[in-house]
Amino acid sequence: MDLTQGFSARSGDGPCREAVTGLESLNFSDGFRQLVTMPPENTGSSFTALLEMPATQAMELLHFTDSSSSQANVNRVAGDIAPHTLHNPFRRLTFPSNSLLLDRAARFSVIATEQNGNIPGDSVPSNSGENLDRVKAEPSESDPMMENQNSTQNQNNSSGKRKEREKKVKSSTKKTKSSEEAEKLPYVHVRARRGQATDNHSLAERARREKINARMKLLQELVPGCDKIQGTALVLDEIINHVQSLQRQVEMLSMRLAAVNPRIDFKLDSILASENGSLMDGSFNGESYHELQQWPLDGYHQPVWGREEDHHHQANFLMASACLQQYQVKMEL
Amino acid sequence: MVDSLFPSIENTGDDDASPESSRKKRRISETSKEAETEARRTNEESLKRWRTNRVQQIYSCKLVEALRRVRQRSNDAGKVSGAAREIRETADRVLAASARGTTRWSRAIIATRVRARLKKHRKAKSTGNIKSRKATTETKRIKLPAVERKLKILGRLVPGCRKVSVPNLLDEATDYIAALEMQVRAMEALAEILATAAPRTTLTGP
Repeated sequence: MDLTQGFSARSGDGPCREAVTGLESLNFSDGFRQLVTMPPENTGSSFTALLEMPATQAMELLHFTDSSSSQANVNRVAGDIAPHTLHNPFRRLTFPSNSLLLDRAARFSVIATEQNGNIPGDSVPSNSGENLDRVKAEPSESDPMMENQNSTQNQNNSSGKRKEREKKVKSSTKKTKSSEEAEKLPYVHVRARRGQATDNHSLAERARREKINARMKLLQELVPGCDKIQGTALVLDEIINHVQSLQRQVEMLSMRLAAVNPRIDFKLDSILASENGSLMDGSFNGESYHELQQWPLDGYHQPVWGREEDHHHQANFLMASACLQQYQVKMEL
Repeated sequence: MVDSLFPSIENTGDDDASPESSRKKRRISETSKEAETEARRTNEESLKRWRTNRVQQIYSCKLVEALRRVRQRSNDAGKVSGAAREIRETADRVLAASARGTTRWSRAIIATRVRARLKKHRKAKSTGNIKSRKATTETKRIKLPAVERKLKILGRLVPGCRKVSVPNLLDEATDYIAALEMQVRAMEALAEILATAAPRTTLTGP
């Protein structure tokens, strides 16, 4: 089918213009063109512009939201749009377009607030399926959307369609399991088909595991070299090693700072000042260098404090601006 | 040279999720109970917080002030020993202060110092804790599964997180690692500046 090919060809990248050209090339009926011009009615042209979706698909979605949510309407619209030959695949095609649209819709605040009430209800029948390619292409984005749809689908029943859809998206949406499990009653048979336990304990266990796995993934990304490792225990090993190495580094640095500490008073102001005014780099260093050579190096002597005052005066002018800046930043926090 | 004190740190994206998609997830997660999106959202924000230039500058400033005060105090007291330990504790305390009390480990770091001070004042001994620890080691202990054992070790490493639940522990560890990295960067830069600013003096000193 041309339409499917057009859709699948786009699976790799974002839709938009290519989709438009692809669809247009298929020479849809006038009803389609009609839909194209419909956008402004619902949410304004900015909607589609924001979505970066071809106006055609946006129109489908908007048309869906207009009509009461039901499979029949979707099919009807699909029938209006597509030629008869494309009817069957198109019925399925409408699903993914909605899901993808919803992905993008949810991404922009304008859409999400408006459509949130409508779309989820309508998305029940029209979701999943079809652009499995698309769904797979953007699994990370579609997952939350699928979950949202799953959770809100509950209200809209039509478990038959859901079974169908879930079977289709089974491969791509593993994460939807957890949210689906939350609503048990209509899903029982579906889960049984998938071979998973359905009682309370397993649900809670699975939710807990999802949470822990999510956090482990974040930790893996944070700690270098953990991406390649498989298995929780080894990853935890790496994490522990990393934390210990960081703490040891802090110890080493604190020892270094302790050795350098006597100079902390004279250098500090000049450092903070010269950080912002790079001109002072050489001059300050030279001055302090000479001064330090004259002074005793033991930082715990009184003269150190006296000298600091002089240095303060010299650096005051520059330091004021620098420190003020930094203190202001501190205040902002 | 000094310009490199605060190198501009790129906000390296911890994951592939863009800020927009994280915002989207925040809205969607209202209805869904997906733990992953929530965890990702909060953790991403907190991790990005520890990587900003501004945070490092703030930390450096506070650290410098605190170090100055510590030096003044030790000057008045007249003793020089334990400088490294003091500095490390000061650095940790300043790091915890930078965390603004939102994380458990930061509160624990500040709390331990307060508790240590109280104990010093009251001269109370912590024999009770030591006894309980000995009791657990003496009793026969079944080897926990490897993962749980490691989680316990991690709990000991992160301050104040010994008896914390597993997902919270992982959260705390994430934030702690990010904060430690920031601390290392800031202290490194500071030590570099101070060392190179007056390099010869150490050699020519008495």
